[in-house]
Amino acid sequence: MDALRSKVEELLKSGEIAGFLGMRLVHQHPYPHLFTLKDIDLLSTLTIGDVRYPLAKIILDIARAYRDAKLGIMVRGCDESALFELFKNFQLDPEKVVTLGVACPAEQGEKCQCPRPNPLNMIAGEKREVVADRSDLKKIEEMGENERYQYWMSQFGKCIKCYGCRNICPVCFCEVCTLEHESLIQRGEIPPEVPNFHLVRAFHMAGRCVDCGLCEETCPARIPLRTLYRKVREIVKTHFDYLPGQDSESVPPLQLLGDGSFEISEK
Amino acid sequence: MDYRTVPTTCVYCGCGCELVLKVLDGKICGVLPGKSQDVSRGRLCIKGWTAHEFVDSEKRLKKPLIKKGNELVEASWDEALNTIASKLRSIREESGADSIAVLCSAKATNEDNYLLQKWARAVIGTNNVDHCARL
Amino acid sequence: MEEKRAFEPRIVAFCCNWCSYAGADLAGGMRLKYVPNILPIRVMCSGRISPHFILKAFQKGADGVLVTGCHIGDCHYMKGNYITAKRVAILRDLLGFVGINPERLKLEWIAGSEGEKFARVANEFTEQIRKLGPSPVPDIPYNA
Repeated sequence: MDALRSKVEELLKSGEIAGFLGMRLVHQHPYPHLFTLKDIDLLSTLTIGDVRYPLAKIILDIARAYRDAKLGIMVRGCDESALFELFKNFQLDPEKVVTLGVACPAEQGEKCQCPRPNPLNMIAGEKREVVADRSDLKKIEEMGENERYQYWMSQFGKCIKCYGCRNICPVCFCEVCTLEHESLIQRGEIPPEVPNFHLVRAFHMAGRCVDCGLCEETCPARIPLRTLYRKVREIVKTHFDYLPGQDSESVPPLQLLGDGSFEISEK
Repeated sequence: MDYRTVPTTCVYCGCGCELVLKVLDGKICGVLPGKSQDVSRGRLCIKGWTAHEFVDSEKRLKKPLIKKGNELVEASWDEALNTIASKLRSIREESGADSIAVLCSAKATNEDNYLLQKWARAVIGTNNVDHCARL
Repeated sequence: MEEKRAFEPRIVAFCCNWCSYAGADLAGGMRLKYVPNILPIRVMCSGRISPHFILKAFQKGADGVLVTGCHIGDCHYMKGNYITAKRVAILRDLLGFVGINPERLKLEWIAGSEGEKFARVANEFTEQIRKLGPSPVPDIPYNA
């Protein structure tokens, strides 16, 4: 932690960054905070935190308001994956973001099953092995078609249309969302258009979802969203050999209309 | 550039879920579900997710308004409070204390609601006290 | 109580203005006989077809959805049909995962001169859906 704090202090004092987005202990609980030169003494409360907030999403707020400012950000593996996707979708300028990587606390990391737990440029914490566990997907795949349908319909039927999954998702950046379109999603209906609502969201995660799991954590109805979006990740990997969040260079397959690289078989 | 997150409690229902307000340069720009307690554990309903929107809403009153004729006219606090007091007094004289009812609000603090019902009972002299959540 | 009727598939066909809708028009012009189960919806390009539309069609009671467009390389807007192909490929697998038979969604390239192909595809697809039976997707909210 000391290494992290001194690095942040160095970046702020040298003027390289205008502010550093990290987590801070407030009443012994971690909350996101933008550290600046003005409150540099608060750096002693900088912490990795045992709970996660979508820092990639927060930096979007700041970057949109201050387009020319260079900002620093504390990133876990998932935050950095989300940032890569935001760079590739031209939402953030990679030249204006300095990342300092941290590892999640051991207990949190083991529960989370992150596909990319180690950020580049890691300053605090130890590297972790990837835990690849497909058992939730396997359970669904072993069901027959009818059983699968009933399972998902009963899960989607619990939805209270809080939009939490969309609001907290670090790679959901659209300013006008199709899920709020009056003609496509009827207003005043709970649960919202089953299965339309959830399948549209799942489809929009194709080529974007970095499997951070914040959606499932924030769903009050405990719908297994992460399972659904993980399947979408696998589908995109199978068809286009692309996995979101692995690097900041590869082109997302659904971004460009057509580069001729996708071979279509006449079905 | 001042960005901070302010943990607070949702005003809408009795659950009291934790909201983390995102404040950029003194203006609320969004909300996140708070994860520091076992009440809401990082989950919010649609009301929680949009609870911050009323703070800076254009629709909020900035001055007291009194209906004069068919129009709502801006007035000072003194004029407004005097008008309310005299009208309530005359209603109480004509029709009795029980012709007045008081509705408390979920958006007010517990302390405010306590004062309101105390005022209804001790000052107005009626037991007709209720709350918007019961509607 | 609704009377029981024999199942007639309801197919929604999204057709692009320049190629497949023209093809469908030609099928009519040639007086080709094909099944009446198709509801065509014209869009300017198959790339306009958001997966939201396809899912909405299923939501509203379509037993099958046919997505048609220009042949690859012939898109009036150059590359719109490439994105259509990518979207349909992902959507089919996603439907399969949630228990809706992916055969209910079909992608077909039909040129403006291929009236006969439109009629043939319409007939074949309708037969295929007839065998699969009615779509499981409800028209009404799940817990109503």
